[in-house]
Formats: sequence, structure tokens, C-alpha cells
Amino acid sequence: MAQSAPDDALALLTRLSQKPGVQSTLVLARETGAIVRTSGLISTSSTANANSTQPASDNTLENYANGRKESGINSAEDVARLVWTFVEAAGTMIQGLDGEDEAKLLRVRTKKNELVIVPDAKFLLVVIHDTPPA
Amino acid sequence: MDPAAKARKDEIAAKRAKLAELKRQRELRTQEVDASRQQAAEAAQLVAPRPSRADHRRELDSLISNLVGNRSSSTDPRDTSSPAPGRASRPISVVSGGENVDPSTPPTQAHPPAVVEQTLSIAPLTILYEAPADSQPETVTYNRAVQTSEPWEPQRDRSLDSDDDYGLTPSKKTPRASKRLSRRERERDEELRQNIRKEVEEELKAARQLPADDSTAITTAAHESFSARILTDEERNAEESSADYLAFIERSTKVAERELDEQFDVLKDYAVKSLEDAEDEGDEAGAARGKKGRRVREVAQFFDERWCSKRCVSDIAFSPKFPELTLASYTRNNSAPHDPDGLIQVWNMHMHNRPEYTFTSQSDILTAKFSPFHPNYIIGGCYNGQVMVWDTRDRSTARDPLTSSGHTHPVYSLDIVGTQNANNIISCSTDGVVCSWSIGMLTQPQEYLELTTPPPAKTEDMAPTCIAFPKSDPTYFLAGTEEGTIYPCHRYDRAGAKAGVDARLSYRGHAAPIMSLDFHPTRGPIDLGDLVLSSSMDWGVRLWKSRPPAANAANSVSGPQTVTSLIEFVREDVVYDARWSPVKPGVFALVDGGGGVEFWDLNRDVEVPVARAVPSDRGPLKRSLNKVAWEPQEGRRTAVGGLDGVVTVFEVGAELGGLEGVRSEEWTGVKRLVGRLEGAVNGR
Repeated sequence: MAQSAPDDALALLTRLSQKPGVQSTLVLARETGAIVRTSGLISTSSTANANSTQPASDNTLENYANGRKESGINSAEDVARLVWTFVEAAGTMIQGLDGEDEAKLLRVRTKKNELVIVPDAKFLLVVIHDTPPA
Repeated sequence: MDPAAKARKDEIAAKRAKLAELKRQRELRTQEVDASRQQAAEAAQLVAPRPSRADHRRELDSLISNLVGNRSSSTDPRDTSSPAPGRASRPISVVSGGENVDPSTPPTQAHPPAVVEQTLSIAPLTILYEAPADSQPETVTYNRAVQTSEPWEPQRDRSLDSDDDYGLTPSKKTPRASKRLSRRERERDEELRQNIRKEVEEELKAARQLPADDSTAITTAAHESFSARILTDEERNAEESSADYLAFIERSTKVAERELDEQFDVLKDYAVKSLEDAEDEGDEAGAARGKKGRRVREVAQFFDERWCSKRCVSDIAFSPKFPELTLASYTRNNSAPHDPDGLIQVWNMHMHNRPEYTFTSQSDILTAKFSPFHPNYIIGGCYNGQVMVWDTRDRSTARDPLTSSGHTHPVYSLDIVGTQNANNIISCSTDGVVCSWSIGMLTQPQEYLELTTPPPAKTEDMAPTCIAFPKSDPTYFLAGTEEGTIYPCHRYDRAGAKAGVDARLSYRGHAAPIMSLDFHPTRGPIDLGDLVLSSSMDWGVRLWKSRPPAANAANSVSGPQTVTSLIEFVREDVVYDARWSPVKPGVFALVDGGGGVEFWDLNRDVEVPVARAVPSDRGPLKRSLNKVAWEPQEGRRTAVGGLDGVVTVFEVGAELGGLEGVRSEEWTGVKRLVGRLEGAVNGR
């Protein structure tokens, strides 16, 4: 349990990204929206590959993105920007309802998949996964 | 004050005066230079188109000297042919490192010579070179002074240094120079401060305006401030090594995994695809038809490759407060000597592959349970004799020091008895020592009791494998031993009986070590709290009716008594654990060495189990099961675990568990059965 902290965190993220159905994961800095880690997303920046949780991203791309390529795997930056603005908007909405409240979990179901967004004081976790087969 | 210091002071004063004089002169000169620069520019304009021939040059020289010489007595560097008489101050100023040179002068000085002629430019060029060359080492001292006196200085200030170099004095005047510089520095600081103040004010103003703006403005602002970028490696490393980051990842991935493991689709539309569902239902109904409410269904298996492989489950317990949490303790993994020997994992029904919490210890954990009075505490007993308390809130660990005042042998059994306000941990080790601990203080046991085998025995030593407290009395308990006998024990001295094993009574019947003891959890109209279930290595489970401790005193004259079991349930394998259902009076579950879990209902049948289930396969071998535990609130789920380290949770049908449909006939039925069995035993 008490191993080096970054390794642990990476292991947890890798676990998550390797769960069946998970297409991509994304860790953002809460304040700026800067991308800390991604997996399963194409990034325009070359350093993104180093950032992604390998080899999870490969697997998720190959195994779970079947037939989704044409629908477009967005670039990590796009997803980060869109999600971040969405979380900000949700935050203002909640602030408007109750000044002392804040968002804890956002689940967005779409026709194609589901986004699970876990906002926190300093970071944001985004998991995009297939909806349960129905 | 000594004369040397005074002389020096005088000298300094004199120098200061001289410096002031120099400064005044310099100011004068800078004015003149400014004026002459304009002149020179004009002259250059005039001169430039002319061809540069010798006669022209002479004319030009005279022109320049006419134009410039009469105005400036000292500072025209181009006028080398006729040094002005007023240049007495020049050598001094050269020594003093070109302090006369204004920051703006070098470019203008360099410019005209290029226009005029090379011969003219030689002298001023040397002077020009001198100034920065002299000041070069000065830059360092100056920087140092600034850095040490004001370390917080913003970086942009350093860029200003280069401008400042021109005004530097040689090293022998350094203190004074730095004084003057620091004055200038102070002025600049003031300026900087004002700038910063202005910026802050603007920001504040902007911040005040922002809430006033409507939401669209905010979103656009957010858009603008968003930086779609990926952190560099250094930034990322810094972020990732922060404790915040780890805590966040731990928490958020847990949330996400729970969410992913949720089987039920909240958006499910039953109107669509109703055909397929109907088919599924049909299958299920067919499978369950024969069993009705006695169905046993596997709902979850908990296993973690990293931690659970090659470990055995040593104990299982459900959380009394959160029914979805299950605790499992594990023995050591022999193939991983660097991992901690003892392991406890708290599993969540909604997250199958990852434990909510993981706790470790240096020694194998043999038994563990949640404290029923503090749901955040987990109490465990270790192979080395330690009793440990883990707190799920801050993940802290408390353990008793390994001293002779506590246990020195493996603790295979412990319990938490008492009430909400006064409870103790009672632990029992295989050398017969029973200790009572306060949960807040594990430094030494509150009570220490040594169990010994009563007289008609070869040896006094007693090796209890398990203890069990009746639900109603925290001062009296049963201890199952390795020899197969169950002894009643008192924690305290009573009327007619000393603390320790009650010598007058023993429960004999098992021929092999007792693996578990369980008092009936009475939660119904009839008190069945004296029923005890024991499992043993002799392939059997026995039901006992324990004698109340008060009755023993009355029969004390009749000598040692032996109680026999009401009934024995003979199985075809070693029975490692047997537990009463917390809600159904006649139901109990047992696990055996064959790897199966069986559910019995005394009201229905005492010969065969009502249901038997085997955890779904994870490997080619059938692995024996060590422990079984009921979910205490509703009694609908049981968790079993064994040699392969997998914890499997079964959900039982309505007849075996669940709060609804518990009929009072069941209680009377058990009571009647016990009465009948008792009659049969006594009549024998």
C-alpha cells in the first residue's frame, strides 16, 4: 500500500482505463483545465503519449473503440476543453442554486456513451465509457 | 572612539563632499551632452552628403569645433584634435569609470564617428570600451548586494541592471556607489510597487465586475482563460507527487469504478426489447421454480490479483452499519516475502475488483471484525499474538505492544462485547490466555485470564481455538478447544465459581478440534439464546443447548457434569464454519472442506441441507472454504471465503433470509424441535 505515490496513482488509473467498456480517461487540473493524464484519446501534442497511461490507451483504442473511429475519437485537448467548460457551467449553476454547494459527480448519458466526471478541489477525473448493453 | 576610526570617518566625509561635487558636475555635463547630441545630429545631417576628402575634413573639423567646442568644454569626445581646456575633470571621471556617461549616450557617441571619419573615432572608442569593461565585475557585486538585501525582488528587475551598469563607479568607491545605487534602487522599487499596486487594483476591479456580469460573460471568460495544453513532464511530476493528487486519484477512481460496476441501467426502457427480457425471465423462473424461496444466487466475487492471490481468507465479516461493505482478512502470501504478511481488505458490493480499504500488518491476520459499536473500527487478531485496531477514517493503526502482558500465541478468536458506552475487545490465544482490551488503549490488557483444563485431564494446558459469547451475557463465554471439548468460562469470580474455566461443566461430543462456535442471535418472540452451533474437524456440526451459568451453582454438589449435543449434523467433509442466520430462527449456513456452502433450516429438515452452492470457478481445483458470514441487518446475503483468497457473496431466497416473511411459527417450531431433541437426549 505504502509504495511510491505516483506509481500507485498510475496503477489505479491504469486499472480504471482497463476496465471493460472504458474508452478513455482524463485527469485535468481543476483551475486551469490543463491535462495531467489521459488514456484512450488522441492528442495533437507529442508529449501526450508520454502522459497517457500506457499501454492502456492502446488496448482501449483497439478493443473498445471498435467502429467508433469514424464517429471520431476527439483529441484530448478538445475533450478537456469541452468538459472543463461544462464543469464550470455546472459549477455556476450549482452556485446559483445554493452558494455553499458544489458539484460532486456529473454523469452525462448520451446516445453513444456515458461521461462520468468527478470534480474535486484541485483535479477533475473524466471517464468516458460505453453504456451498458441494452 | 579610536583616532583611526575618526580619521577614516573624516576621510569618508571628505570623499562624500567630493562625490557630491562630482555629481553636480555630472549633472551639468549630462545637460551639456544632451544639447551637444542635438548639435551633433544636426551636424551629421549637414555633413553626411559631403564627399570625405581631406580638405573637406579640415573644414568640417573647424566647423565642428566652432559649433561644439565653444559650447561644451569637456564632454565632446569627437573633438580629439583640439582638447578643450575645461577638461580638467576628465581624467577624474575616467578613473571613476565613465560615470559621466549617460545611459543614452553610447549610441549617439558611436553614431557620429561612423559618419565622419575613422581617424576621429579612435579616441572616443577607447573610452567607450573602457566604461563597460570597467563596470563588468561591478555588475556582479551590485547584483549580489541586491539579491542579498532583497531576495524577493521580481526577476524583471535584473534586466534593468544592464542599464545601471553605466552609472557604476570603480571598486574602491563601492560602498558609496552601492549606497547611491540603493537609493536609486529604492526609487525603482517604489515605482515597481506602485505598478504592482495598480495591477492588483485592476484585478480587484475586474474580479468585482465579474460577478456582476451575466452568465454568458462568465462562460466566455472561462473560454478565454482555458489553456488547452498538456502539462510538461516536470509539471506533471510535481503534480503527481503531491499528496493531493494521490488522494484525489484514490477517491475519484473509486467513485468511477463504483459507477461502472453498477449493473442496473437507470435509463432502461422496459417497453423496448420486452421480448428478449421476457425470454430471460422465463429461463430464470424455470431454474428457480423447484426451489422457490430457497434459491441461492451468487451475486459477487471479490478478488484482487495484486493482493489476494496466493493468500487464504482467514475471516470474513459484514459491516454492521454499511451492509454493502464486507471485510476479509487474509493470511500471508508465501511467494511474496516483501509484502506484508497480514492483510485486511474491505470490499464493497458495488465495486468487485478493488477494495475500498486495504490494511496490512506484520503478521498474518487470523480473525477480524468490524466493531459493532464504532463502525469505523476494524479489530483484528494476529498470528504473533497482537491485537490490532484499524480506523477506516484516517487509516491509522493501533496495536498492542508485543509484551508478555498480552498474548504471546496466535489470536484465532476475538469478540467485542458490552454496550455502546462500555465495551471491550475480548481476545483469546491458543495458549489459553484470554485478554480484555479497551479499544482506546491497547498498551496493556484490562483483564488477563488464563484458561486451564479442569482436573480430570492429562495436562492443564488448554488450547482454545474459538470463543463465543451469548448475546445476553458479556461475562460468560464458551471456549472450543483443540481436543474437541467445549468449556464454559467466566470472566469474573462468581458465587461458587472462580474466574476461568468452569470445572463443573463441559460440552463433549466432538472428537476433533472445534473450528467455530456460534450462539443463536435472538431477535424474535422466543428466546433461543442458549442454542449453540459448533463445527469441527470431525466432519460434523453439533447443536447444543447451553446451561445458564446461574444454574451451575445450584448443581455444584453433583460434581463435574457432561453435556451432550442435541443433534449432530454429519457432513462428508471437514466443516470449517457454521453460523446462524441473523433473522431466521432455524436457518444456519456452513462451509466445508469440499468448497461448498450449505444452508440448513431446522424447521424444514434436520437431515439434509435446504440448499447447497459452490462459488463459481476461478481455477481448476475445488478449494475448501474457511469462513462464512451473514449480513447482519437483513440476513439476505452470506459471504464465504477460503483457500484461494476469493470472497464470494451469495444472496439467499426469501425463505432463508430477509426481514419480510419471518413467521412466529418458525420460532415456536425451533423451540418445539429443541424440546423434542432434549427429551430424546435425556431419555436415552
